[in-house]
Amino acid sequence: MRNSQPENPVCSVDGSSHGAGAGDPITRLFESMRPDLVRFAQWLARDRSVAEDIVQETLLRAWRSRDALKDPAAVRPWLLTIVRREHARLYERKRLELVCLDDGIEHDGIPTSQGPDSELHALRGAILKLPLEYREPLIMQVLGGFTTAEIAQELKLSSTAVLTRLFRARNKLRAMYGLMPAPDDSASEAAQ
Amino acid sequence: VNCQEARLHIGAEPNAVSPELAEHLERCPECRQFQREMIALEANIRRALDQPPLGQSPAAQSSVVPLSAHVRSRPTRRFAAWSGWALAASILVMTVTTLAVWTVYPTQTLAHDVVMHVEGEPKSWTSSEQTSPATLNDILRPAGVELDTASGDVMYARSCLFRGHKVPHLVVKTSRGPVTVLVLRYEHVKAREHFHEDGMSGVIAPAPHGSIAVLAQGNADINDVAEQIQRSVHWLPDSR
Repeated sequence: MRNSQPENPVCSVDGSSHGAGAGDPITRLFESMRPDLVRFAQWLARDRSVAEDIVQETLLRAWRSRDALKDPAAVRPWLLTIVRREHARLYERKRLELVCLDDGIEHDGIPTSQGPDSELHALRGAILKLPLEYREPLIMQVLGGFTTAEIAQELKLSSTAVLTRLFRARNKLRAMYGLMPAPDDSASEAAQ
Repeated sequence: VNCQEARLHIGAEPNAVSPELAEHLERCPECRQFQREMIALEANIRRALDQPPLGQSPAAQSSVVPLSAHVRSRPTRRFAAWSGWALAASILVMTVTTLAVWTVYPTQTLAHDVVMHVEGEPKSWTSSEQTSPATLNDILRPAGVELDTASGDVMYARSCLFRGHKVPHLVVKTSRGPVTVLVLRYEHVKAREHFHEDGMSGVIAPAPHGSIAVLAQGNADINDVAEQIQRSVHWLPDSR
């Protein structure tokens, strides 16, 4: 799926462009977003190559639907939404078992090395270990800048359910710092 | 808004405060404390997510061919190569700057983190639990220390995660009232540092292995207490 050049509406292997190319403003705009998209996809998928696939597919879909982008200022949330949907689609389609983490993430989330980055490293590990149902809204909120209402709409949940998931995500991360987790009414989300 | 609802909203959106939540926070110190902790955690979450999870820079991920790669002209390629060096130089400058900041202000950050940690366990100050010598030993030994004081003087003893390491967190009775002691084997300071933050006074003193933080409530000078605690902490000979 990666690098799907035959479908690529922007470029062809022989270098000729079909309607637009590298100089096209929309192409440049999409390309400028690639690092953000890859990072967002990596936090969702926990796998670099899967993230690259997702972003490649996202950019192709975005290009095909470029007329739907009315406001170029809204390109980032628009593309991030496509990334999230591509990730969900990939997950549904392949039933990926994305439990095992790549090298570099320590199993207990606590680094053995010391230094100013060790805490951050441990926190990254802890975020990666959050179940997707908690990690996804957290990443959408913090990294994507989505509001609770937008996350609720995208995930097809009530706003209260999103609040509960965000609360639980952070509550789990608190434990990493030795902080007392706040009491959690486990039935609250089920009631939404 | 009750405490449970307040914490749900703070945990979900730490930086957002509705009028109803503000009203609750006004009269609930525990939720104010919870909010402070969550805001601090939020800053760290943002820092953590600011990089790819596995440590690679997105710009370095060259295995995917950019959408426009096949129509790039030679000047663009030269620019791409130049921009790669520029990116590398930027990362180097940022790294050096970050290291410099950490070198110049390490203990201020450490003091803040110590205060934040202690604030996260407010009941430790008023605890009156009996800590058995065996329990105390279990908490202290992994840090490579012993405490030369009666275990009855230890009002609170936990092994806490602090900056990615398990550290002994004690509250000890002294002539000046209860003081918190954190044995920070992995945190090094060059000289004794005094600080006052959030109604607490503290000292972080260098130790044979790492450092020791001593905190008391109030703004009084606790230098003498800190020295007394330092003398009570013995580093085991086989500790690294």
